[in-house]
Amino acid sequence: MPGPFRFGVQVSQGESMSDWRDKARKIEDLGYSTLFMPDHFGQELAPMPAIAMAAASTTTLRIGSLVFDNDYKHPAILAKEAATIDVLSDGRVELGIGAGWMKSDYDALGLPYDSPAVRVDRFEEALAIIKGCFTGEPFTYHGEHYRVTDYASFPKPVGLLPILIGGGGKRVLSIAGREADIVGINPNLRAGEINAEAARDSLRERTDQKVQWIREAAGARWDDLEIQMRFFVCKITDDRNSLAEAIAPMFGVGPDEALESGSALVGTVDEVIDQLQQRRDRWGLSYVVVGDENVDEFAPVVAKLAGS
Amino acid sequence: MHERRFRFGVMVTNVGSGKEMSELARRAEGLGYSTLFVPDHFVDHQLAPTVALAHAAAVTDTLRIGPLVLGNDYKHPVVLAREVGSLDLLSDGRLELGIGAGWMTVDYEKAGMTLDRPGVRIARLAESITILKGLLADGPFTFHGEHYRVTDLDGQPKPVQRPHPPFLIGGGGPKILALAAKEAQIVGINANLRSGEPTSPDAAHSLVPAATDEKLATLRAAAGDHFDDLEIQTLVGFVHETDDAAGIVEGMAGAFGVTPDDARMAPVTLVGTQGEMVELLEARRARWQMSYHVVGSEVLDTFAPIVAQLAGT
Repeated sequence: MPGPFRFGVQVSQGESMSDWRDKARKIEDLGYSTLFMPDHFGQELAPMPAIAMAAASTTTLRIGSLVFDNDYKHPAILAKEAATIDVLSDGRVELGIGAGWMKSDYDALGLPYDSPAVRVDRFEEALAIIKGCFTGEPFTYHGEHYRVTDYASFPKPVGLLPILIGGGGKRVLSIAGREADIVGINPNLRAGEINAEAARDSLRERTDQKVQWIREAAGARWDDLEIQMRFFVCKITDDRNSLAEAIAPMFGVGPDEALESGSALVGTVDEVIDQLQQRRDRWGLSYVVVGDENVDEFAPVVAKLAGS
Repeated sequence: MHERRFRFGVMVTNVGSGKEMSELARRAEGLGYSTLFVPDHFVDHQLAPTVALAHAAAVTDTLRIGPLVLGNDYKHPVVLAREVGSLDLLSDGRLELGIGAGWMTVDYEKAGMTLDRPGVRIARLAESITILKGLLADGPFTFHGEHYRVTDLDGQPKPVQRPHPPFLIGGGGPKILALAAKEAQIVGINANLRSGEPTSPDAAHSLVPAATDEKLATLRAAAGDHFDDLEIQTLVGFVHETDDAAGIVEGMAGAFGVTPDDARMAPVTLVGTQGEMVELLEARRARWQMSYHVVGSEVLDTFAPIVAQLAGT
C-alpha cells in the first residue's frame, strides 16, 4: 500500500546567496517536501554545498541529491558529507545515489568510463560502505574496488537517513529493491546520454516491467518502499493534446501513449491529479519530482495532493 | 616592508547541530573574527568541511569561510573546482581556499587510499592547483598532466572572486613552501608533518623560532619580489590566558624538549596575560610577517578582546 503523496523539485542553478536562499524558501513555502540537486559537470552547482546552504536557509524542507554519481567521490567522503548536512539540518537529508551514467562527465574528469557491469559492481560496494559509515561504528570492508579498514565515520546521521537509489535497468532496480528506502524509476541510460531510446524506455509497459523487477527483489520490503519518479515533460495546460502531439515523435508512439509514459505529467490540475492517482495505483508512485521551471504551475497540485 | 593588518580566524572542529553551528558562526562574525575555518580529516570527530562551511556562510553576511586545509587527495580537482565555484558564488565571494598535499597517515589507511611519498603528493597538488585555477577562470580548459587529464572543460559555476578565491597553502617543508610562494595568496606556516603524525617530536622541533626563521627564509627566497604580496598565516593551537606565563611555558618546554623561550615564541602557542599576548603577536608579525592568526573555537570568547584590540591594525 503506497504512502501519501509528496513532491520534490530538482533545482540545479542559483545566481547568488539571496537568489538561492529565496528559491529554497519558496519551494518550502509552496508545500514541496524536498529540494533535489543533480550531480553533473555542465552548468550545475555542486550539489553538496548547495543543499547544505538550502538546508541552512530553511526549517522543514528536506534536501537531497537526484542523484549523486558514485564515481565522483570516495563513498566514505560522500557519506561523511551527507551525514554532516543531516546533523546540521536536524535530519532532513535524503541521499540519492546511482552508479553513474553521463559519459560527458567522465570525459570531463578524465575518469575511465567503465562498462555498466563494473560501475554497478563498484556502486554495490560503495553502498555497503555508505551504510557502514551511517552506523557510526567502526567497520571494515575489503572489496574489489574499495578498502576501508576499522573506520568509524563521523558524524552519525540524526536518525535513519533515507537512501534513494535511482536506475532504469534490471540490476540497479533490483539492488534498489533490496537496499533502498526510496526507489527512483528512471529511463535506462546505458547509452550514456539522453536519447530517443531513453525516452521510449519510460513508456507505460516498460515502467510496468521496472516496477515488477523492484517488487521481485524487494519481497516483503515492497510495502516499506517509497517509489519516486522525476517527470521531465511537465506542463499544466488545458490543451494537453497539442503538447502530446509535439512530444509523441520523441517517444516514437502516438500522442496518448506518450502522455501515459513515466516521463510526462501534462494536463489541467485536475487531470494531473487523476493521472497521479492512477499511477499510484498502478506503480506505487507516491513521490513526484518536477523541475525548477515547474515550481509555480505545479503548486496547486501540491496543495491538493501532498499528504493525501 | 609593509606590515599587513592583523586579522583572525576561528577553527571549528565539531559542533553537534545546525543551531550550534549557526550561533557559533554568527558570534564569530559579531566578535570581529574574519574567517571561520573547518579542517579536513576522517578521524577525530570532525565534520565534512565543504558542507559545514556552506552552512556557516548561509547564516552570516560578512564572515569569510575556508577549509584549513583540504587534503588534495580526497577529491578529484574537477569535483573540487565545482564545489569551490559553488561555495564562492553562493556565499557572495567569501571563500578562502585552503588546500594542502595531504599528510595524516591514518586518514589514508582508514579510507584505503594510497599514501604516496611526499614528493608525489606535492606534485599532484601542484597539478591540482593548476586545474583549479584553470577551471575557475573563464573559458574552456585543457590540462594533460601526470596525475590528471582534463580536456576542453569550461568549469562551472565561476566564482565571485576573480580570477579565483584566494588560495591558502600551508606547509612546513621547503617543497610545499616553494609551491605556496608560487601559487598562494595566503601562506600557512605550519609544523613539518612528514612523519604523518601531528604531535611527533619532529613536528614540535620544526616550530621553534629558529626553524620558523628558516621557513620564512625559504618562502622569501622562493617568492622573490612577490613576497610582500603574501599574507602569512598560522594556526595557534594552544591559547592560554594566565598571569603565570613563565610557569606554563616551562611545562610546555619540558613536554616538547625545547627551551622555555622557544616554547613561548613558537607561533603555535600564545601564553600570558592579554597584554603579553598582544606583545607576542606584534613581535611575530615584526619578525615573520605573521598577521593572520587562527585560534580554536573553544577560545572564541576568551580570545575576543585581543581580536577587538588588534584586528585591522
